Amino acid sequence: MESADYDQWLGRAQSLADHIQKGNDDEVNRLLDEISRGRERMLFQELGKLTREFHEALNGFRLDARITDLAQENIPDAKQRLNYVIVMTEQAANRTLTAVEEVMPLSESMAAQAKVLRAQWARFTGRTMSAADFRHLSHEIEQFLDKTSTDADHIRNNLSDVLMAQDYQDITGQILQRVIRLVNEMEEHLVRLVRGSGTRVMPSTEKPQGLTAALVDASESVAVHGPHVPGTAPEEEVIHSQDDVDALLSSLGF
Amino acid sequence: MKILIVDDFATMRRIIKNLLRDLGYTNITEADDGNSALPLLQTGNFDFLVTDWNMPGMPGIELLKAVRAMPKTAKLPVLMVTAESKREQIVAAAQAGVSGYIVKPFTAVTLKEKIDKIFERIQG
Repeated sequence: MESADYDQWLGRAQSLADHIQKGNDDEVNRLLDEISRGRERMLFQELGKLTREFHEALNGFRLDARITDLAQENIPDAKQRLNYVIVMTEQAANRTLTAVEEVMPLSESMAAQAKVLRAQWARFTGRTMSAADFRHLSHEIEQFLDKTSTDADHIRNNLSDVLMAQDYQDITGQILQRVIRLVNEMEEHLVRLVRGSGTRVMPSTEKPQGLTAALVDASESVAVHGPHVPGTAPEEEVIHSQDDVDALLSSLGF
Repeated sequence: MKILIVDDFATMRRIIKNLLRDLGYTNITEADDGNSALPLLQTGNFDFLVTDWNMPGMPGIELLKAVRAMPKTAKLPVLMVTAESKREQIVAAAQAGVSGYIVKPFTAVTLKEKIDKIFERIQG
């Protein structure tokens, strides 16, 4: 009880005692009524507070019931996304390895052949080469130059393929960022659930966060969806190839 | 020709930069989202903008709208290179005035085709 309340109660008790001693029945009755009304008011206030806490606890529990959604829908969805990341990184690794393996022997034979020709060329410049050998050498040089030109093109193409294969980092990065967001939401909801079961009162000022907020975001008309992961969105909403994009744009007058 | 590449992933910026260099474009500047791209576009005389969609800060679609709203850049050719492949998004980009739209993953040939087409249209 606060000191102001205490003083008030003490004052009432003292004046009640005075009136009883003086035999003021009317005043005694009035004071007794006032005192009991005060008690009732406190009781109702306490009951009101309890009701509010109960209501908030129920609301909090409903919010945390979204954990069920997370477990039933978002986690399997995240597993699918993570598996897709494995598939994409594997494809990129294979694409890179194939491109490298294909042209590695080309650059090796180019170096070896250049070394052989260099030695013969030294014989020519040192004037120790016969005319017949020189004819043979010039033929070999011609062949080497042709082959080098073709092989260099091949190497360049494969290097460019290696370059393009690195785009997996962007796409898988976006997918992983989404999964990390989901894990964060999950954590938030679990923390809230633990807090909710440990104490009776849920903070009433807390705004919907995490998944609730994410669901609100997702309902915006042109939200960011991230890279398409097979099996995670209705297929008819998704454009599958650059050709489809071009067709759609040309239907819009592009 | 002065080109600005906007993508939050440095690897993708490098890939696009390399591809553009192959096509003979060497004057290339990079930015990692719309917020850092806009001041560059306001001050620099860029001839071409290549942007991603999904970026923290200012996403590509907002950047596109901002570019179209500024008198200095209203006619700047904008090529969107993005993993966003929902029908509604492509339509939204078209409505916002995108000049070309490439979905990731893409090929060097696709990039060349789209760029050629954009400049053909400008010159034609």
